[in-house]
Amino acid sequence: MRSVLFAAAGLAAAVSAAAAQDIRVGVLYDLSGPFAAAGSVACSVGAQIAVEMMNEKGGVLGKHKIVAVNADAQSKADVAINEAERLINAEKVDILLGVYSSAHAVPIDQRVDAQKKIFWITTAVATAVVKDRNLQYTFRPTVHSDQYGLVSTDFVAAMAKPKLGMDPKDVKVAIIYEDGPYGAGVASSNEIGAQRQGMQIVLKEGYSATAPDLSSLVTKLRRARPDVILHTGYNPDITLFLRQSREQGLRFKALIGHGAGYGQIDKLIETFGKDVDHVFNVDPVAAQLLDPKTLKPGVPELTAELVRRYKAKTGAKEVPPHASMGFNQSWILFDKVLPVAIEKYGSASPEAIRKAALDVDIPVGGTVQGYGVKFFPPGSQLAGQNERSSPVVMQYVGGVTKIAWPRELSNIDPVVPLPATSPYAMR
Amino acid sequence: MDIFLVEAIVNGLLLGGVLALLALGLNLIFGVIDVVWIAYAELVMCGMYAIYWLHTYYGVPLPAAAVIAVLFVALLGVLVHKLIIAPILGSAPINQLLATGGLLFFLQSFATLLFGADFRNVGLRLPIIEVGEIFVSFARLLAFGVALVGMVGLWLFLKRTYIGIAIRAIAQDREVMILMGVDPQRVYLVTSAIGGGLAGLAAALLVLQYDVHPSIGLSFGPITFMICVLGGLGSMIGGFVAAFIMSQIIAIGGFYTSIELSYVLAFLLFIVMIFVRPQGIFGGRS
Repeated sequence: MRSVLFAAAGLAAAVSAAAAQDIRVGVLYDLSGPFAAAGSVACSVGAQIAVEMMNEKGGVLGKHKIVAVNADAQSKADVAINEAERLINAEKVDILLGVYSSAHAVPIDQRVDAQKKIFWITTAVATAVVKDRNLQYTFRPTVHSDQYGLVSTDFVAAMAKPKLGMDPKDVKVAIIYEDGPYGAGVASSNEIGAQRQGMQIVLKEGYSATAPDLSSLVTKLRRARPDVILHTGYNPDITLFLRQSREQGLRFKALIGHGAGYGQIDKLIETFGKDVDHVFNVDPVAAQLLDPKTLKPGVPELTAELVRRYKAKTGAKEVPPHASMGFNQSWILFDKVLPVAIEKYGSASPEAIRKAALDVDIPVGGTVQGYGVKFFPPGSQLAGQNERSSPVVMQYVGGVTKIAWPRELSNIDPVVPLPATSPYAMR
Repeated sequence: MDIFLVEAIVNGLLLGGVLALLALGLNLIFGVIDVVWIAYAELVMCGMYAIYWLHTYYGVPLPAAAVIAVLFVALLGVLVHKLIIAPILGSAPINQLLATGGLLFFLQSFATLLFGADFRNVGLRLPIIEVGEIFVSFARLLAFGVALVGMVGLWLFLKRTYIGIAIRAIAQDREVMILMGVDPQRVYLVTSAIGGGLAGLAAALLVLQYDVHPSIGLSFGPITFMICVLGGLGSMIGGFVAAFIMSQIIAIGGFYTSIELSYVLAFLLFIVMIFVRPQGIFGGRS
């Protein structure tokens, strides 16, 4: 009897020792509801691939396996908050990874930060998630929304002379946007960027994403005659705008969208066919679009493995940018931060991870999405945000996504102004 | 005159046509059955999905798909009456409102379950009409024309046919008509079918201009209801006039200020009207 007890105690000790080796990570995405098909599931598959690849190497430092505890936020903020609380309090995870929606990220980061647990944001992009909040345990390696608006105006300024034959200060831009936090946020950074470049803003107007009619906006755009339209919106309003613009004869030299609806090229082609050719979209890049030559050694192999596994898992032909976002941010945590936390700071505790994250210094080209990683330290306006993240400007050419900007990552000479084949081209 | 202002006014007129058609069915049902179908725009959504599905997956030509959709939504209208309205016809108006409100959420969730949250469309690109400097959408012009024809057709039906006269009689006095030997249930069913059919017709016109998704009703439901109230609930002429008032406020207001502000102006007018003339422009009963 005694020996049985000893054996049991020994077994329990062995189990707990093994458990101590593992790192439990709460993974929270929207697996149902409207966000699911809009990229959240792709993010979760990307994160899942990162977990598998790390565990196949034996785990972090070859011995600490990642144990993912998955949860579904159901595209609802209240469910997201409850699941985050459950993962931390009931499942006892020290790290919460994921979230697709910025509207979920804001209430969650407040709670997670207060409990001194790590919140590793892979996808939610609104700048407001971290801005002026001085969060200590929240980190976001991905881009933030203010960057969208500035990248597009930088791009327009660079294209002005060589492509449009005009000075940036003579370029007329119109800024239109859905009036929620996402559209309004990008639009205000568009405005700052355009002013910085000295461009003329001939119209800046918001509208509700559910507005049944945008014809008066199109009429005003026709009157204002912008060279470039900077647009931020979701899906129904973007298709309505493009349709009414075509019907009302709106002409311009370039149209630059900023993610969300503009990121779904398949949908746009289904609706408009060739008409959406040469439209631009600003977004974080899908890893497989990057030229391997622009990346550090070992990184292109990671991308190839991600693409292979994503296609095998989902049967998809194309790997969306969201898969890269889910994978890349997770991989940065598992491969660059956790080893430092354990080796240099002694454990995978939130405090050790926090210190390790602040130590991370990955140069440009060091991750599958091209950007480097260096987090803004506590006390700065964007504490926890990656200061080296950057979206790219993509152009749809013949139904294929190409990178137009920044120059060091580009794989086409951008087509500006719109060629005469486009129904939106100036004539 | 500013050519762009003319364009805004023309576009406002065309939008008014679509809104008038939407208001027509809702008004008919309220006028006769005395029930507000809050889920009216969701019935339109069902019709749009039907057309999309028939056309894209079964290759049914659009005009034929449109006819099937009209019949399908007419049938839905009958079902709504049979299953939801008829059992609570005698209860308080608030209960009827809650019941059709429940139907709204049911249809939205059911469509999400069935079709997902994706945006779908028939991928049709209609020609553009260019008159001088003004561009006119063919789809909108078509919707405008059909709305007018629908109005006239419904008017003739109500004036010239036996059942049409019975419908109008019930609308005027439902108690007395029972004494006269008219079966109100049959009249209600026919009215519901016509109301549903009009929603199907609206669906056929909207599917040419808009993507179908489970919450498309949100774009049209509230404003249709407001137009009906503004014109006088149950008054078809009132709804028609109110649709054009609203659409011109949105179009001209949007042209001179912004789209956001134009809706504020439209809602402001609505609130003022509720205070000044709660029965609506052409409304008889309170």
